[in-house]
Amino acid sequence: MARTDPKKDVVIVGLGWTGAIMGIELAQEGLDILALERGPDRATVPDFKYPNVIDELEYGIRFGFMQKPKNSTITVRRTDDEVAQPMRRLGSFLPGDGVGGAGIHWNGQTWRPMENEYRLRSYVEEEFGADAIPEDMTIQDWGVTAEELEPYFDRFEYMAGISGQAGNINGEIIEGGNPFEAPRSRDYPLPPLQQTVDAKMFAEAARAMGYHPFPRPAANASEAWTNEYGMQLGPCNFCGFCERYGCLNYSKSSPQTCILDALKRYPNFSYRVNSEVLRVDMAADGQTATGVTYWDEEAQEEVTQPADLVILAAYQLHNVHLMLLSGIGEPYDPQTGEGVTGKNYSYQMTGGTTLFFKDVEFNPFAGAGSVGMSIDDFAINQIDFGAEGFIGGSYITAGNTNGQPIRGIALPEGTPEWGAGWKQGIGEWYGHSMSIGSHGSCLAYRDCHLDLDPTYTDRHGRPLMRMTFDWKPNDIRMTQFMKGKIEEIAQSMTPDSWQSSFKDEGARYDIRPYQTTHNVGGSIMGTDPNASAVNRYLQAWGQHNVFVLGAGAFPQNIQYNPTGAVGALAYWAARAIREDYLPNPGPLV
Amino acid sequence: MTPEFLKTSRRAFLGGSAAAAALSALSDAALAQQQELPPLEEYESVFLTPGEWAFVMAATARIIPSDGDGPGAQETRVPVFIDHQLAGDFGAASDLYMEEPFAPEADANLGPQSPLAPAGIYREGIAAFDEWCRAEQGAAFSELETDAQDAALQALADDEVGLRPELREFWTLLLQNTKEGYFADPRHGGNAGMQAWVYIGFPGARANFHEWAGRDEAYPLGPVDIAGERA
Amino acid sequence: MKTFLKIMLGLIVLAAVALVAFIAIPVQRTPAQSEMPADWRPEKGQGEYAMRLADCAACHTAPDGEMFAGGRAIESPLGTIYSSNITPDDETGIGGWSLDAFRAALYDGVRPDGTHLYPAMPYENYRKLTEEDVRALYHYFTDEVEPIRNDTREADLPFPFDQRWTLRGWKWLALDEPGFRADADDPVLARGEYILEGPGHCGACHTPRNAIMAEAAVDASDEAFLTGGEIAGWTAPALRGPGSAIAGWSREDLVAIFSTGRNAHAAVNGEMQLVIRDSTQFMSEDDLAAMSAFLVGLNDGGTAPDRPGDRTGTEALIASADPDMPLGARLYIDNCNACHFADGRGADEVFPELDGNALVTAESPTGLISMILNGSELPSTPKRPYSLRMPGFADRLTDEEAAELASFVRQGWSNDAARVSADDIADLRGDADAKVE
Repeated sequence: MARTDPKKDVVIVGLGWTGAIMGIELAQEGLDILALERGPDRATVPDFKYPNVIDELEYGIRFGFMQKPKNSTITVRRTDDEVAQPMRRLGSFLPGDGVGGAGIHWNGQTWRPMENEYRLRSYVEEEFGADAIPEDMTIQDWGVTAEELEPYFDRFEYMAGISGQAGNINGEIIEGGNPFEAPRSRDYPLPPLQQTVDAKMFAEAARAMGYHPFPRPAANASEAWTNEYGMQLGPCNFCGFCERYGCLNYSKSSPQTCILDALKRYPNFSYRVNSEVLRVDMAADGQTATGVTYWDEEAQEEVTQPADLVILAAYQLHNVHLMLLSGIGEPYDPQTGEGVTGKNYSYQMTGGTTLFFKDVEFNPFAGAGSVGMSIDDFAINQIDFGAEGFIGGSYITAGNTNGQPIRGIALPEGTPEWGAGWKQGIGEWYGHSMSIGSHGSCLAYRDCHLDLDPTYTDRHGRPLMRMTFDWKPNDIRMTQFMKGKIEEIAQSMTPDSWQSSFKDEGARYDIRPYQTTHNVGGSIMGTDPNASAVNRYLQAWGQHNVFVLGAGAFPQNIQYNPTGAVGALAYWAARAIREDYLPNPGPLV
Repeated sequence: MTPEFLKTSRRAFLGGSAAAAALSALSDAALAQQQELPPLEEYESVFLTPGEWAFVMAATARIIPSDGDGPGAQETRVPVFIDHQLAGDFGAASDLYMEEPFAPEADANLGPQSPLAPAGIYREGIAAFDEWCRAEQGAAFSELETDAQDAALQALADDEVGLRPELREFWTLLLQNTKEGYFADPRHGGNAGMQAWVYIGFPGARANFHEWAGRDEAYPLGPVDIAGERA
Repeated sequence: MKTFLKIMLGLIVLAAVALVAFIAIPVQRTPAQSEMPADWRPEKGQGEYAMRLADCAACHTAPDGEMFAGGRAIESPLGTIYSSNITPDDETGIGGWSLDAFRAALYDGVRPDGTHLYPAMPYENYRKLTEEDVRALYHYFTDEVEPIRNDTREADLPFPFDQRWTLRGWKWLALDEPGFRADADDPVLARGEYILEGPGHCGACHTPRNAIMAEAAVDASDEAFLTGGEIAGWTAPALRGPGSAIAGWSREDLVAIFSTGRNAHAAVNGEMQLVIRDSTQFMSEDDLAAMSAFLVGLNDGGTAPDRPGDRTGTEALIASADPDMPLGARLYIDNCNACHFADGRGADEVFPELDGNALVTAESPTGLISMILNGSELPSTPKRPYSLRMPGFADRLTDEEAAELASFVRQGWSNDAARVSADDIADLRGDADAKVE
């Protein structure tokens, strides 16, 4: 069975953050738009309603709001000579599905990259010489600058109602904010969240050591907020069920709280759920896309959906998968270094130290996804790469996101994992530990990439995408450097005991424990069609009517959580489409 | 005017740690609910056979024993939780990618690669482990003395019982599912009376702790579950 | 009991008077209240706008039914009435009606064949419509709306209320002089008053009913006007006087509630949600400002009421998380506190205030109980598109618990309303599942 539906002006693949942003921006142009979402529809009530969503087992452990590997997964290997195995169960990262995408179940940490992160290769070459870059490190410039993106970050942060404290407004350093951040044009729309006990203790210790603590920028509203679309957020109540859950309280910025009900009012916008796009259809000459083909779960048939403009707004992994399946961009070949699609897959280097305080009541259940204090004294723009022997940086942070017991109760080293000792331990230590984390850059390497798996297929018979990724010495040196800094702070806080968990030399990528859902690269942006998959406006080099949004555009990973940059790039691309592409469809570069 | 609800306190409140306080405040309703449930011995399992049930009862009782502070797996009805889970989507691996070919011996870092769903891993894992217990200790696991049970579980945890690669995850699942049953909302069959939450001081499905974020002070109020029961 | 007596009394008076009226007085139809050229045509959109002002859609459209094709069940104290089809369908609607016949329906509640309309049709208020609005509406419903064939049900009323002829007598007693006369000279205030008294028919719900179930006042100069009424068992709060739900509200607060259904204090609930959905959100900025200015004037210029009560005591009790707190407070923490917070203030435009909230403290707890059991959803409007929803808590509360909870919020902070009983909850629970004990 198959059908062909009437042509649309625009088809958007995926209705998460970037699909919703592009949807409403293009709906304002009066275009006839169809968004296709592979998962179900979702709304705060009933899907995230209190109290039902406070079910740690269903959502925190069984991943009720996440992509089901049965429907969609990848294969993983660490090196080119290993046989990739399918990710049969979720672990290391948790892509969302359904309306809202991962935008419903993130913590809400909303950062702007450092200025030098957009031009990392140029920066390193200028400051430390080309020799500072290891031979296998394939870092690139983004082709866009912090200054150019500033208005689009501002737009995203005001749309999403971010709570925070500016540290640099137009070059003026503001006390209490991040003094190392790139200049911003104005303060955050909302004041910072009130801080949890651990964050206050960390900030005090950091300040005493001469560092510059500031509140973590949060997409958890500190006050009621109404955005440019008239959409509304209520104040966060510190329920402690943020990451992995839809927000029960209209407090976490998401497509639902910030865009969708406004978007649904446009008669020229419609969306279909349970509709997984199988491929982008290409014109015979391969120079443009003609639309997409998707699987209509309800009708149980393939649907050809013609469209003038195709926006890939799915999760990074799925955007790249669709590009590989559809022939958008030359597939990357790690042997020759040629090709672009699938190039520079990267991830996030994290580590942390846990501190135990018998006499402090942290009340960990009173948490919010992005509450906390951070320092950027060891950010990527503060480190002498030549002296330290690595390229990269990290923010260091403490803040209590949740106290959900199944997800783990930190116990002092030596406590058994089960039996009487474990039970004694959880009774003694629940609520009496905190952690200081490092959230660091992860760079790009010749052999870390995405391509199609030769063996495994999905339920539609398409080859799964294959990820080749492992930790690299440069990034491990970075995280070990951060370990040293964090342990100094931890010791100054005189806990009863403490223990660290950072990647050591020789560490291999392990897909089982959750790390971060910060998968980047593979559809990287840039200025050279031979080295990047999309141009600086996220337009495919070879098919001018295909735009690829999301963190796939990052040529290597930043030291921050990606959503801020993902949102800013979506507005940046939307402006280019509205003002430059629509009047004159064709390559923007 | 002082509203009625501000006037009196109906119960004496025992001070001390949050856990002790909340335990003492276990509400009549929650206790009643707990008492109404049929004893574990009378529970009719959905998935587990009688032999498997005996194993799960015995193993979870050693993983979270009843003695010492706090409730054990028995009092919180963890075996019921595990039976429910194995009978449902979790046991059947309904959400997982289960397409061939399988390479169960692949590097563990690449994630579980067994062709068996969790229910199958339990079924075959219990059989294989009981076999090992019989060979090494002369009896099935559930019939061993507790010290011998602890030693056998430690051997299982240390991967020293010779399970074939397809069953490599057995211990991980058993340990994880036991803790899940201990801490999950009671709607899933375990954590009876929210006793595990009361023990550690987790307030459950309450949602607003606005006044408590940043307050270094023991939180005194016991938990509520999704169904609205209080403890 | 009180309501029953009222009904009985009304019934006796009504029956007696109606009999006399029926015998003595010929049927009259009110003529146009001002001269307009016969060839007058409304400006583009004027007819639709008049329809929005008069909120014809809310009653004359059934849930999931065609616009204006009628059939919506309207619960009255006496029984169920079904709204009529007002599309220009010849057989089942108002096709072929003359302007005079149309006006008579609006002003006098009479159909062309002389049948009397039940006063669920607010002709008590529509009698104040200007001739221009009547003409605009007539044009809209005869020339702009598509005819839809839809037979609507006859009302389910017990004898003698099913005898429509008795309404003649009722009207004789109930209806004021036709036409609108402004109390204020200021044209803005006069416009506001006109909408409130006339097309907006606010008094139909917000003014108390008298012994014969007529609106106790239809003119703002009468102090009973807008002092609160009842609709479908819910309290339609007073909009002036000692119990005014909007005392202390600014003009901006009122414009916000009319245009978006939400403001810094409250969110609309019950039938008022339909008013926002179908009527006020479409009003012009000028008309919203005029209505708001007039309402602020009715409330002595908008001074906040001085409410007694232990506001901080309630807040401190909730914040204490004291295990010894009474059940009502504990239930608040476990159900309501997530959004409405310890101070009962909620959050501007998102979570309504419970402290001082007219729904919470209404004499009849029906609305509050319904809200607790079933939840609520705000209409989407251009300015505030978000259909914010509160979930219902029926399955998480026993009748006794819901009563304790409702009583707590009715007496918490500065609120001082009567307690609610478990029987009140049971009566309103309907099909909603209770918490399993």
